[in-house]
Amino acid sequence: MTAVATTEATRPRIGSRLLGVIRRSPTFAVGFTIVGSFAVLAILAPLIAPFGAIEAYPFEVLRSPDGKYLFGSDGNGMDVFSRVIYGAQYAFGIAVPAAILMLLIGVPFGLYAGYVGGLTDEILLRIMDVVRSFPSIVLALAVVAATGQSVVNVVLVIGLLDSPIFARIVRSEVLALRSSPFVEAAVAAGNPTWRILFVHLLPNAIRGATALIAVRMAWAVRISATLAFIGVGIQPPTPEWGAMIRQGAEYIISGEWWVATFPGLALVGVVLGFNLLGDGLQDLLDPKRRTAAR
Amino acid sequence: MTLRQFLLRRVLLVIPILFGITFITFMLVRVGDRDPVAMLAGPLADRQTLATLRTEMGLDRSFWEQFAIYVGKLIQLDFGKSWESNNPVIVDIANRLPASLELLLIAMLIGAAVGIPVGLRSAQRPNGAFDQAARFVSLLGFSVPTYWFALMGIFIFFFKLGWAPPPMGRIGLDAIPPPDVTGSYFIDSLLVADWSAVHSSGTRLVLPVLIFSVIVAAPIIKHTRAIALEVLSSDYIRYARASGLSPFTVRRIALRNAFTPVLTFVASELTGLLAAVSLLEFIFAWGGMGQWGLNAILNSDFAAVQGYVLTLALFSAVIYVMVDIAVLMLEPRSALKA
Amino acid sequence: MSLLEVENLHTHFITRDLGNRIRVATALNGVSFAVGEGEVVGIVGETGAGKSLTAMSVIGLLPPAAKVVAGTARFAGDDLLAMSPATLNRLRGDQITLIVQSPKTSLDPLKRIGDQLVRIQKAHRAVSDDEARRNAVEMLATVGIPDPEQRARAWPHELSGGMAQRVLIAMALVNGPRLLIADEPTTGLDVTVQAQILDLLMELVQARRLAAMIITHDLGIVAHYCHRMAVMFAGRIVEQGKVADIFKRPAHPYTKALIASTPKQIAARGYAKVGGLPPNLYALPSGCHYRDRCPEAEAACTTEPPLVTVRDGQRALCHVVARGTRVQ
Repeated sequence: MTAVATTEATRPRIGSRLLGVIRRSPTFAVGFTIVGSFAVLAILAPLIAPFGAIEAYPFEVLRSPDGKYLFGSDGNGMDVFSRVIYGAQYAFGIAVPAAILMLLIGVPFGLYAGYVGGLTDEILLRIMDVVRSFPSIVLALAVVAATGQSVVNVVLVIGLLDSPIFARIVRSEVLALRSSPFVEAAVAAGNPTWRILFVHLLPNAIRGATALIAVRMAWAVRISATLAFIGVGIQPPTPEWGAMIRQGAEYIISGEWWVATFPGLALVGVVLGFNLLGDGLQDLLDPKRRTAAR
Repeated sequence: MTLRQFLLRRVLLVIPILFGITFITFMLVRVGDRDPVAMLAGPLADRQTLATLRTEMGLDRSFWEQFAIYVGKLIQLDFGKSWESNNPVIVDIANRLPASLELLLIAMLIGAAVGIPVGLRSAQRPNGAFDQAARFVSLLGFSVPTYWFALMGIFIFFFKLGWAPPPMGRIGLDAIPPPDVTGSYFIDSLLVADWSAVHSSGTRLVLPVLIFSVIVAAPIIKHTRAIALEVLSSDYIRYARASGLSPFTVRRIALRNAFTPVLTFVASELTGLLAAVSLLEFIFAWGGMGQWGLNAILNSDFAAVQGYVLTLALFSAVIYVMVDIAVLMLEPRSALKA
Repeated sequence: MSLLEVENLHTHFITRDLGNRIRVATALNGVSFAVGEGEVVGIVGETGAGKSLTAMSVIGLLPPAAKVVAGTARFAGDDLLAMSPATLNRLRGDQITLIVQSPKTSLDPLKRIGDQLVRIQKAHRAVSDDEARRNAVEMLATVGIPDPEQRARAWPHELSGGMAQRVLIAMALVNGPRLLIADEPTTGLDVTVQAQILDLLMELVQARRLAAMIITHDLGIVAHYCHRMAVMFAGRIVEQGKVADIFKRPAHPYTKALIASTPKQIAARGYAKVGGLPPNLYALPSGCHYRDRCPEAEAACTTEPPLVTVRDGQRALCHVVARGTRVQ
């Protein structure tokens, strides 16, 4: 017991803090672990996967899971396990740039609209109305179907469709902050507008959007898989989970369940991970929720 | 302001939104790299035929002229013709919408009937065991892709257990579809007391409806919980407790105050779900508007895509106006002074 | 025996920080006071001193993180803190009523005010609908609402802040309570309305010979309307006594500073400093909580201050005062 206590005491502060966070919000910890594990899978895919992502053995199609093919093999004789691992690269490869795009477009727009108001604000609100009143999956589908099927297009569409959400949340934060003393002081000190926006307002306004980033990344992973499943977006034999589920769908009623099941589980895992992460972040960042001891 | 003025105002507010959607859909089919004329005429058409077709379709005019013509036709409810089915788009939609609504509305009823009580219960003891479990289930529902969930359901309940009928359409080949009244095979066959059709269409509803209810319930749980938490921490609930009203009365006040926001939320979810249901239709070969719309998108059936998107937009506009009317009647605060 | 006797009340906020460590804010540290029948007691102090928390502890309406850890609060002889929640709930809104500082948001937004007045009556006694409604209208007239028949049908959102506060007063009086607790009753109102509301409230309290506890940070209100007062600092009552005595000869250095900072005194003598931040409730200094800000602090102040009776009924919690008078 004493030995443990000593190591505890000498451990750097950040360690005990992390431990505290895990205890305070198990949701966050679980989400973080899931997302982290998949990120590791994505990075180390070539080392972990026993087969290549599109390495086909035409004489070994639709083998059920066994020692050689952990998750079985698909209709082309490709190893489902290896493809699921490589699929993580696509999940992050789409979600991360899409999230960056959302922020790059949405945040400046929201800052400006909230601070300056006027026409920009009006336009933002109207765009918000349209996007909000309309199911984004259909817009995404239609746009991707019309503009062509590439990873870049998928990222662009997801980033664009989601940017108003960030614009709106940043806008409302800025509205609340606009007349606070520190902003007025910055104005009085003669700061140019861009400096007030990005140096003074941004750090304060971005806080409300933090938890949202994880949630919207979950959405990005989901919707890119949906696009691939429907057949627009990323095409087989690219090891994208949605595309793999599409390939596996036809075998479901003949009993070869593994082709669709495993990529689906991975998809659920990553999306759930991001959602838990977002939920946990909200827990941790919301001071109101932090108080009550239970 | 009278009720009529209020409604008029509300409807007028919807117009810019519809206009925006119209413009986007109009743009969509024109920014693509596929030439509709070439697609329609086929690979063997000569230049002369293409030119004639182009003029016939009005595609040789300027962008804005085309848009004006398009909007003009929409106002007369002329959505154009589907190249796939060769029917007027509006006829195709009218034929297929009931099948989608059947799935959607039943699943919505079940999802709300489960999700709202669960959300309320969760809020009573935030971070308690029930709340933790409910939140996890809700997040899981958020995270499971509809189509994959449906595939798993089919594998287990059709292939393994044999409880569900084959996932191919709304009614079996052994039963005759009932005469069309509401458009729901199940209700229509009930109306004419055709029991084999009732059985056939009823059993085929069960699996997709149950799967969809889970998807529907997830956000309802989350938002009901959030709304209830806000109400429970309000001044008027605190004051009600300070007034010594019985816990039962206090709970009733809370429920009554949470009702409108929950209703508004549930209704506002409908449009998104009408779009999401298309994936389910796709897998169960349901033949509803969603499946039709997906196919239209996949096949670049431009008029049909536009029709589908506009129908969704219109649907959402109608829901919004209906929600406003409901709020108007339920909430004294909003009484005609918005 | 007084109507309400609070003895040695300790209430703590028990929370967890980001690192999940338990933190305890010792918000009330042994509060003792009494309110006699027909007596109006003012409780003053700066924000965070524990004025509202004292009232909320007594009527059992603490936020989830707060817990009463010690003490008693006898109301007509029965300890409110030891009662079952149901018994205490029967007293609230009936024998003990509360007037809060946010009248507009405290009324149920979905019920007409007349119906809310009926509801609170029916919650506590068997009255017929007609009688309850008559009482409601009569009460609305009593609190100075014009055209009460008509106004009973108004929704809360249709009322101005002052009107809403009148309705809350009606709600607080309609069941004929014995003790009225007014928690910053006029903070949210226009200055011109404030005086009207207070005059009305105190007139009604006097006419009904009610015991009342008025929580405020406005010394003027206390001077004007209260018989006795208690000055709170960092979860303790540092001085209490008759209003006239304390204003004439404040004993505790904090009370002196407070009184010196009223506009009238400032006009007469220039600025006096009350100065400084409220002490950190997570780590209160040992001994006297005020010593870090006290101009008269001395070495002895690091030990627990004694409770000193200055003169008839006037008591202060202070070493410095103790040196000048006899220790109780």
